[in-house]
Amino acid sequence: MSFGADVILDLSTLEPGQCLFSRSMAVSADAAASFRAAVGDEEPAAAGDHAVPPMAIAAMVMGAAMEAVELPAGAVHTAQELEFGRPVEEGVMLACSATVVSNSVRRGTRFIVLEMRGEDGAETALRARATIAIAQTPIAHATDGAPE
Amino acid sequence: MSAPPASLAGVAHKVTQAQIAKYAEASGDRNPLHLDAEFAAATPFGRPVAHGMLVLAFASELLAHSFGRAWLCGGKLRARFRSPVYPGDVVTAHGTLTSADAGQATYRVAVRNQDGVDVITAEATVPLTP
Repeated sequence: MSFGADVILDLSTLEPGQCLFSRSMAVSADAAASFRAAVGDEEPAAAGDHAVPPMAIAAMVMGAAMEAVELPAGAVHTAQELEFGRPVEEGVMLACSATVVSNSVRRGTRFIVLEMRGEDGAETALRARATIAIAQTPIAHATDGAPE
Repeated sequence: MSAPPASLAGVAHKVTQAQIAKYAEASGDRNPLHLDAEFAAATPFGRPVAHGMLVLAFASELLAHSFGRAWLCGGKLRARFRSPVYPGDVVTAHGTLTSADAGQATYRVAVRNQDGVDVITAEATVPLTP
């Protein structure tokens, strides 16, 4: 994921319905193991030893979306919706995409809502919606919430 | 399936800067707000904070361990990030059943820090399989 230094990029050109990326992606066994270690959840997977943690898929797709948007440093993640459709095995390629749902400015903060999907054939493995807040003045104006 | 549990209790996680760095590598999210003390000092947070998705993973862990495959096959989570989590904080996910019908159970979920502050609040829906 790329983040600018303290430069606030012009994100005003993002339009609802705009596709940010659409490509095949997979969570490898190594990446799944790294994710488990990072979140401290080393217990056997609920759906089998080779199932990817669902949040690892969310992180992968979200990372690709954020990279496409090129968020400025200090962007804040204020809300997240997740819907898991089915377990995914390590290495399985998913058709992943991210689309802009809305892009608005309220009280000096830009709010961008993105919808992300990860699909395995006709089945949706993950549907996610993220709300990101970006101060329109230097970072001292950031909102509550956890940073993205 | 038997009646869904009235409450869910997760394990406590002490969040460390090393863990945040590991998550940054695993997720690719290298926002300096998480990793660069000098950068973070100039923000309202004052120091590096954990990724929201890292902390949200503790809520998903709670639901995955409580419901197993059902969580992965139709589980839904709507979350709001309320407060930052700093290195050294200890957070624990909790769930309280709010409704259950023939098809699904709904829980109010919170990830709470050591001071009793809900850093994440969420609503989780889990399908109930026969």
